[in-house]
Amino acid sequence: MHRLLIAAFALVFALNAQGKTLNIVTTTADLASITREVTGDRATVTSIARGFQDPHFVEPKPSFLLLLRKADLLIVVGRELEIGWLPALLDQSRNATIRPGGPGYLDASSGADILDRPTGPVNRSMGDIHALGNPHYWLDPANAVRIAIQVQKRVSVLQPENAAFYNSRLESFKQRINEANKRWTAMLAPYRGTKIVTYHNSWPNFVKRFGLNVVGFVEPKPGVPPSPSHLLALTNLMKREKVKVILVEPYFDLKTPQAIAQRSGAKVLTMQPSVGGTPDVTDYFKLFDKNISKLVAALR
Amino acid sequence: MDVLGFLLVPFLAGLILTGIHAYLGVHVVERGVIFVDLSLAQIAALGTTVAFLAGHDLHSETTYFWSLGFTIVGAAIFAFTRVHHETRIPQEAIIGIVYAVSAAAAILAMSKAPEGTEHLKDMLVGNILTVSWKEVLTTAVLYAVVGIFHYVFRRQFLAISVNPEQAQRNGLNVKWWDFLFYTSFGFVVTSSVTIAGVLLVFSYLIVPSVASMLFTDSIGKRLAFGWILGAVVSALGILASFQLDLPTGATIVCTFGVVLLFLAIVRLLKPRRVAVGG
Repeated sequence: MHRLLIAAFALVFALNAQGKTLNIVTTTADLASITREVTGDRATVTSIARGFQDPHFVEPKPSFLLLLRKADLLIVVGRELEIGWLPALLDQSRNATIRPGGPGYLDASSGADILDRPTGPVNRSMGDIHALGNPHYWLDPANAVRIAIQVQKRVSVLQPENAAFYNSRLESFKQRINEANKRWTAMLAPYRGTKIVTYHNSWPNFVKRFGLNVVGFVEPKPGVPPSPSHLLALTNLMKREKVKVILVEPYFDLKTPQAIAQRSGAKVLTMQPSVGGTPDVTDYFKLFDKNISKLVAALR
Repeated sequence: MDVLGFLLVPFLAGLILTGIHAYLGVHVVERGVIFVDLSLAQIAALGTTVAFLAGHDLHSETTYFWSLGFTIVGAAIFAFTRVHHETRIPQEAIIGIVYAVSAAAAILAMSKAPEGTEHLKDMLVGNILTVSWKEVLTTAVLYAVVGIFHYVFRRQFLAISVNPEQAQRNGLNVKWWDFLFYTSFGFVVTSSVTIAGVLLVFSYLIVPSVASMLFTDSIGKRLAFGWILGAVVSALGILASFQLDLPTGATIVCTFGVVLLFLAIVRLLKPRRVAVGG
């Protein structure tokens, strides 16, 4: 009886999905951009968080509930990035399909290369630790491909009739990312091993991919102002290691980084971690184009 | 139909908040301790942070009792610092100091926590849009209990709020009743803040009481006026938030502001008649 019900449910679901465009909701604009690469015009893809918002903190709005209510598929960054705001929205949206474990829920991190997974006891010297690993993994082009593969698999299950179409779009995306990645790697090749400091630990995947070396963080804990001794140690470290650049996300206050930069002779560089952070960054490729050219200009 | 379903739960939450806070607001305004709710909520938050630091889960019962324990300590502080004749230190000063110190202590505690602190801040702040049926029901029961308690002892509570000197002369133990008042008040505020956030709870507490004082002096009429106002503003604010797609809590707070301004203008244009006799 139970199995029969599931079979019937799956059939109804497949029939419903057939022929109509999928409603896909993503939590961040980066996931939306990557998903659009796969689905093209056969799905409506909407992002909840805007690119200029800190995805840890999103103020729930009524339209998010309606979006989630109508969604066939919800794609999340996962790794507890959205833990502060998404669970309550999901509860209220009353859409069983897109709940964790449902056919319409996809955790994009499931196939990605995740860094900073704590092994053994967690302690203060390790900086900001996410128990499930660092959630800023989308800032590595190789992970973008891994995310796209997950998306392609899932939308092909939801719309089997479009599977070939989605597959060819995925192949095209892989090819373009590979080409772009060669270009980006070449641009940053002269700066391999360069030491930098970042505000929040948002860039481990990015620096690993492009061979940069993060030697310290401005704010050891989000929401906790750095202590004078931390600032002093960081300034001295930056002088000693000749760090030229402090990377800051646009939603953090620039005052503290600027004070450190002044004392250590470094430059503060604002790099956006997400698509849509500024109006000209409309997709994943433009995000890297812009960030990398800014970074090269600052390091030169 | 969908929209209506989403509207209903926040609106019910708004009604429940109105029910208890418009009442407590009368006391708070009478006592002149306007910011006591922020202060108590911050003490409760400090309790949660300390529990989290001690290794308890944020949503566990242990954590809840830690936060309740801190709230009771706060209530005791406020009950015993109410009047200080020798130094004339105003109670608002104590409330402000407790707020600042407990907020700073929470920051210190967070800086020592090994993980997950970036979510902690968010979890202490509720959002009325995403409140669940279960929360609404448990809160309704909880506030009903507090409401009944206050109804049974309404004479004592009113006496210590409106005229503590007189109450003392009549043989009431003012410090004890103050402690009971602040404990039940802190209990309510702590739950409300996790549902609706600090700004909204403050508005539900103060605005109905202040608005009603524009038109009447009688405690009973002020209560009735406050309840109606809270219900109307909840409905208007939630509708506006859906129509304009704005964050719901902040929209209700601004609606409170706009309605209060409107009532103040009405009051200016139509001065009430001075009560005869009395």
